[in-house]
Amino acid sequence: MRPILLQGHERALTQIKYNRDGDIIFSTAKDQHICAWFAHNGERLGTYHGHQGAIWTVDVDPTSTMIASGAADNTVMLWHIKSGKKLKTWNFDTAVKRVEFSEDGSKLLAVTEKRMGFLGTIVVFDIDLDPEAEQSDERVMTITCEEAKATVAGWSFMTKYIIAGHEDGTVSQYDAKTGEQLDNRQVHEMDQTITDLQWAPDRTYFITASRDKSAKLVNAADLEVMKTYVTDTPLNSAAITPKKDFVILGGGQDAMGVTQTSARQGKFEARFYHKIFEEEIGRVRGHFGPLNTVAADPQGKGYASGGEDGYVRVHQFDKGYFDFTYEVERQARQNL
Amino acid sequence: QDLDRGDRANQEEVEHRRRLLEEWMAWRANIEQDVREEREARGLPLDPVEGLVKRDEQGEDQVIE
Repeated sequence: MRPILLQGHERALTQIKYNRDGDIIFSTAKDQHICAWFAHNGERLGTYHGHQGAIWTVDVDPTSTMIASGAADNTVMLWHIKSGKKLKTWNFDTAVKRVEFSEDGSKLLAVTEKRMGFLGTIVVFDIDLDPEAEQSDERVMTITCEEAKATVAGWSFMTKYIIAGHEDGTVSQYDAKTGEQLDNRQVHEMDQTITDLQWAPDRTYFITASRDKSAKLVNAADLEVMKTYVTDTPLNSAAITPKKDFVILGGGQDAMGVTQTSARQGKFEARFYHKIFEEEIGRVRGHFGPLNTVAADPQGKGYASGGEDGYVRVHQFDKGYFDFTYEVERQARQNL
Repeated sequence: QDLDRGDRANQEEVEHRRRLLEEWMAWRANIEQDVREEREARGLPLDPVEGLVKRDEQGEDQVIE
């Protein structure tokens, strides 16, 4: 797996997203611009300028028409991918840490930061995927996190639930229409922040990453923890690979927590685990700092990681990856 | 004897994995059916995106004309 190195950010990466076809990668960083790249050759397709602070999050709608971004400048912005035009700005009282489109792109949620005088919230907007349309200012729903702020959130299958991960290690399930909290579970260790939440392709289950050094696979319908992946380092991100039953975990001890930084250069790793058997199956080295974000190509052809080192590394899976199969998996396939 | 123990441990591991795989596949079959039925009952398309993508492509065709 020889990676393509994407150079264009000057600061730490914060989130990477593939579009549905897997041919374009969007990346955000603390350097205040969003980059779009061709996944197959790493060529830069464009940049989106307008935010006045670190950008924490990006998402692309399912038709690859628009991207949404959230930043430390207390705004969410909506952009037309092709023209680079900014279509809308929504203002908030605090920074926006996560945005996500619903499965049909008709709704967008934004997770806002908690700060003196302001509780963390999850805000929902209606989106018109026509780039010529006027986007609505109206917040169709606001969920206020009274207990512990949400750090990440997303939409389940059928846009039935909003699922949020919190700073106290719990996961919440809200009714996506009313905002009522239906369930809240201590999925990760108490007071260990949930740093990422990514969906399976059909949004019936998701993976969470936590500073408690583990990732969990959770059923969206009942919040049951189905699988646990245990590592030896705080995790910042976790992704589910389509086609193969693997998960990819990214993290690493911050530079300050490392005694001999030089000895670890280039050794920050993406870790692959078998999704069903929970066993580690491989690591990919390369970054010079913790991995802040990992993303799996929805078409299953590769993955990308973004580091504290300012680099995006894009990997195309090779034959060995696709051939890797446990004996019981081979047998099960033969029996189908 | 060591070899026997190794074989037995290995065999147990394989059985364990087989069980996990069967459980997973059974859950997937269930949830996929549940979601399919619920989507149909609510009048939602089985693939939430399929129609959207087509609409987008038509839009592009019109621009070319």
